[in-house]
Amino acid sequence: MPFELIILLSMLVVFALGVFLAKLPSGVALVLSAIVGALVAGEGFPLRHLVEGAFGYLDAMLIIATAMIFMKALEASGALGTLGHLLVKSLYRWPTLLFVFIALFVMFPGMLTGLSSACILTTGALVAPAMLAMRIPAPAVGSFIAMLAVYGMIAPPINIPVMIIGGGVDMPYIGFEKPLALASFPLALVAALYYRFRYVRKIHIDEVLSQLPSPVHAKHGIMLFAPLVLVVALMVAIRVVPQYVPDIGIPLIFLLGSLAGLFTGERMKFWTTARSAIRDAMPVMVILVGVGMFVQIMTLTGVRGFLAVGALNLPPAFLYVGISLLMPAFGSAYASASVIGVPLVYVFLGKDEIVVTSALSLIAGLGDLMPPPMLLCAFASQIVGEKNQFRILRQSIPLMVLSLIVAIAMIAFANSVAKMY
Amino acid sequence: MERHHITALCMLIVIAVVCTLAGREFLKMYEPDEIIPGPGVTKVDNLSSYSGDLAGTISDTKVYVLDSGKPGATALVLGGTHPNEPAGFMTAVVLTEHAFVREGRVIVIPQVCSSGFTCTDPLEGYPQSYSIQTKSKIRSFRFGARGSNPLTEWPDPLVFLQYPSGQQLSGNEVRNLNRSYPGRPDGTVTERVAYAVMQLIERENVDIAFDLHEAAPEIPIINAIVTHEKGKDAAASALFTLESENLQFALEMSPPNFHGLSHREWGDRSAVFPYLMETSNPIQGRLRGVTNEALVVQGIDRKYFEAAQIGSMRITYDLEGEPLARRVGRHLRGLQALLGAYMESTPEKRIVVDSVPEYEEILARGLGDFLH
Repeated sequence: MPFELIILLSMLVVFALGVFLAKLPSGVALVLSAIVGALVAGEGFPLRHLVEGAFGYLDAMLIIATAMIFMKALEASGALGTLGHLLVKSLYRWPTLLFVFIALFVMFPGMLTGLSSACILTTGALVAPAMLAMRIPAPAVGSFIAMLAVYGMIAPPINIPVMIIGGGVDMPYIGFEKPLALASFPLALVAALYYRFRYVRKIHIDEVLSQLPSPVHAKHGIMLFAPLVLVVALMVAIRVVPQYVPDIGIPLIFLLGSLAGLFTGERMKFWTTARSAIRDAMPVMVILVGVGMFVQIMTLTGVRGFLAVGALNLPPAFLYVGISLLMPAFGSAYASASVIGVPLVYVFLGKDEIVVTSALSLIAGLGDLMPPPMLLCAFASQIVGEKNQFRILRQSIPLMVLSLIVAIAMIAFANSVAKMY
Repeated sequence: MERHHITALCMLIVIAVVCTLAGREFLKMYEPDEIIPGPGVTKVDNLSSYSGDLAGTISDTKVYVLDSGKPGATALVLGGTHPNEPAGFMTAVVLTEHAFVREGRVIVIPQVCSSGFTCTDPLEGYPQSYSIQTKSKIRSFRFGARGSNPLTEWPDPLVFLQYPSGQQLSGNEVRNLNRSYPGRPDGTVTERVAYAVMQLIERENVDIAFDLHEAAPEIPIINAIVTHEKGKDAAASALFTLESENLQFALEMSPPNFHGLSHREWGDRSAVFPYLMETSNPIQGRLRGVTNEALVVQGIDRKYFEAAQIGSMRITYDLEGEPLARRVGRHLRGLQALLGAYMESTPEKRIVVDSVPEYEEILARGLGDFLH
């Protein structure tokens, strides 16, 4: 048995024992598994590597923390409930149209920022109460917004996994709009129709509205939505007119939006709201600390290379199946794109590189749903109040499989796809 | 005091101890590498002489001038554009400590992205340094990050809009010096370094410039010379010379639509003939196995051995490893061949550099023999 496999198995066993037997939080179990991995590999207790890995996702953690504060502020100001109320009231007569609209709405922040988590924490959180009020089961709602978050991250104009792969192979981010649209919008449409026809026959408007918080727009007017407009406007402005609007960073944008919420809706205690948000975000942030240490030790000990070479070593007949299983297994879109996405572009030399890279980004994007971090499932479970994140993952399997089929087809027929546009 | 307060206090104490111990490790990377100017060095300057804003910052760096005092061409050699590519840096160190210029002038910047030498990239498991045995002692050199230290310009944007092209790149590329040319005096720290290099090229009337790199063995542009259109004839001539010595180099043209790269922007915006050279460096690769100091120096990696055997993709990896000495030897020989080819094409601008170790010599005697 290869030594790297022994290290990997020891890490996974410690993680599983920590989560299922000792009932530790996933993040803490990941920290322990990283320490054990280093010990098994003979690296001792590599404190510097563990701390360095812990900071690997610092920027993502800041975004998560501030986005959560923003969402709590919107909720406390009454904007969140009012928006859900207005959305359902306006479109309940046309449920199919309502679901397509919701799908595009949820995807929007991801299209703009390239961050799947931004979709769940902003627009996903806005529509979730309305969907729950339609008596759609919580795992299904969580799965719906989690899948749309993946598609939002993949959809143009901004796709960071493609940029990461492009950075690794010196390919400029030019000409990706159409293949990325092909890899995302049709799947989003299918997702909207799937959940619409599976779970919603007719919307009983009075019953739904009674489950939602009472709207407060009559009291506060259009200003109620000013924080949301401010955040979206700043996100758009730093992309569209960067020469006039400096990129102040997504965390600061969310914080400005949160502060604006103090003056535009129902009264709130900002300190209490922020504390509550950080308490909710803490488990996910701890997971990211643990994942950072886990990845750092995997790289240090050669386990990362073992997995990457293993993917390349697959027989041609199993290559596509292997990619479908291995790429998402990295548990993070960015890690997957960086570690395995870059070499795979070379494996598929001869096929249209832009189409191949777009498709690989879709497969990598599914990694955000997968354990151990299960980032999107963890967020979605908090938003919809589902305690078991695995139920959201299980609910997502049909769409994940469909997404993999679409991505593999795009790779297999990349040159034909390229001729379509 | 309630129980959860005691727990919190204990956690804070543990965190304080961890931060102190780890912080000491991280701070070691702020200790500068020892570069001992050789007899050929006639002047030591700072990059901040060309863009004042850099003075006193960790992004300022030494500029070594090797001037023959005789008229001729001026060459610029950049090492450490990417501090995790040690062959580029060590080639510049060997030139600084060992070379002697007989005609013309050579300007060497061994650590052009100096702030990148003060940290390593998270999640990559890189060592902080590597050691080389010289004739008199063991010398240690820092192994840095790909880009500038994030502390100099944190946070990275989600998307980097390259100046002035507006080209979109992944956000972390904002700290990549070789995506930041031509730079600007009031831009990010990395753009200011790029601007200073452009100013140096202009003010010193640099005729030919080299940006020394390394790349992962799976990248197609490897063991290669990348050239701007205007330098392709000289590059082709140099390749012919190198092939006659059984040194295989690929000739790659600088993509006209990929902005911010040295070979593109230097060539487009100045009179210089720009060349970028790459060697195969396993520690940068995504397929590598155990990541440690030995991999930097010896370049032996079992995972690349396996990947090269599989054959599902092109891997430029010698089955006996890619030692640092060989990678430096390739850079030095490529550089000499390009200087020779340049002189053939512009005989009125001569540049002759002596005491540069030959490729076979550096393989036989080791890198340490050419360091103080």
